[in-house]
Amino acid sequence: MKANNLSEVIFGYSFFLTVLILTFISGCSTSTVVDEQKSSSTKLSMDSEEKIVIMGRRHGNSYETEPGFISCIGNNISRSKNLNVMQEKNFLDKFYPWFEPRIAPLNLNRMKIILNRIVITNQIQKLKIRYIVWVDGSTETSKESGSMTCGMAPSGGCFGFKSWDKTSSYEATIWDLRNLTEKGKIKVDSKGSSYLLGVGPPIPLIAQVQGVACEGISNRLKGFFTSR
Amino acid sequence: MTAIFKKKNFISLIITQLFLMGCSTHVVVVSEHPPALIKELPYKIGLVLDSSFTNYSFIREKDDEKITISLGKSQSELLNQTFSSMYQSVSEFITRPLRPTKSLDLYVSVIVEDLQLSLPRETSVNVFEIWIKYKLEIFDSEGSSICEWIISSYGRTQTRFLGSQEKALHQATNAALRDAGVQIITGFNQIPEIRNWINKEKAVKNESQ
Repeated sequence: MKANNLSEVIFGYSFFLTVLILTFISGCSTSTVVDEQKSSSTKLSMDSEEKIVIMGRRHGNSYETEPGFISCIGNNISRSKNLNVMQEKNFLDKFYPWFEPRIAPLNLNRMKIILNRIVITNQIQKLKIRYIVWVDGSTETSKESGSMTCGMAPSGGCFGFKSWDKTSSYEATIWDLRNLTEKGKIKVDSKGSSYLLGVGPPIPLIAQVQGVACEGISNRLKGFFTSR
Repeated sequence: MTAIFKKKNFISLIITQLFLMGCSTHVVVVSEHPPALIKELPYKIGLVLDSSFTNYSFIREKDDEKITISLGKSQSELLNQTFSSMYQSVSEFITRPLRPTKSLDLYVSVIVEDLQLSLPRETSVNVFEIWIKYKLEIFDSEGSSICEWIISSYGRTQTRFLGSQEKALHQATNAALRDAGVQIITGFNQIPEIRNWINKEKAVKNESQ
């Protein structure tokens, strides 16, 4: 009789725990929407030596596109499509000061003015830079709630519950430097909720919102280009 | 008994020191400044940077926290690199020569007017911010003042990328120094008095040819 009761308790507890974990895991999932706009249906061609630069916009007062997000896109594209991607920092140093946040061209007309300087045109030709992809946006944390307390004693651990939402919103714009035209835009919006559960050791259930946004934007960008 | 008392004092001194250290942040700014991609002008510049500039450290003590940012070396390297990219040659001076030589065309003396910083906990914005205000005094080869020019550079970094306050302040200061370079490269030759001076020099050179 006692054994039956015990097995029922264990079963009940396991069931409760499974439901709880499944609820959290499903809550952790992210939703992503990717839109794209192309100026033509043909793929953007590149010579084997030509390069793409992925650049973050940092002119806004309230946010700046994270350097880590830019590297993530750059790495994804160069790895899987065998395209030459120049690192953002390297590009900024080679063209200092013309793409620094204070004076970076926000549109093609400003870019045209910058390209009137012969030293800049020569540098672009020397480094074989064909496309610039400007990425504008950021990942924000919102709706933080709950609290957690952690003890210092050996028997301690954490007790409580914390949750937060993250929203990523980015837009990538492709400029072709050969004929100074805009070749397309990609917009990605991604959001998800993360949880931290404290029952003894803290159990983090983190939604990879920015990572999903990076993957979404990289996959679409790869679809734009074809290397020779 | 005395030995135990000394030992206790020593331990409490170490603990106090550790607590004090925990409340101070010292950032030594080290950076590599890229050369500017610009066509250089054929003039020789004397760059006057005194010891208060080359050894400049900003110190702020607020709410039992001490923050020190030493950026003298880095800002001196930035100015050397910037003016070297803009002009044919740059000679550095600790003080402005009393009898300027004819071999140099312009003297530029730079001082730090002000440095301000804001931390995320003070502004409730998730960024570290630095503002640096520089005053540049420009003299001709005779030592006569041409003009004064003030620039205010800005740098920031976001806390979420960086592990420590030191690292964040270092990156924000570097961004502010880079921004100061941008303003000098794009704005110095556009100062009306400097533009007039360049036009005069060009006219003299054309006449003598």
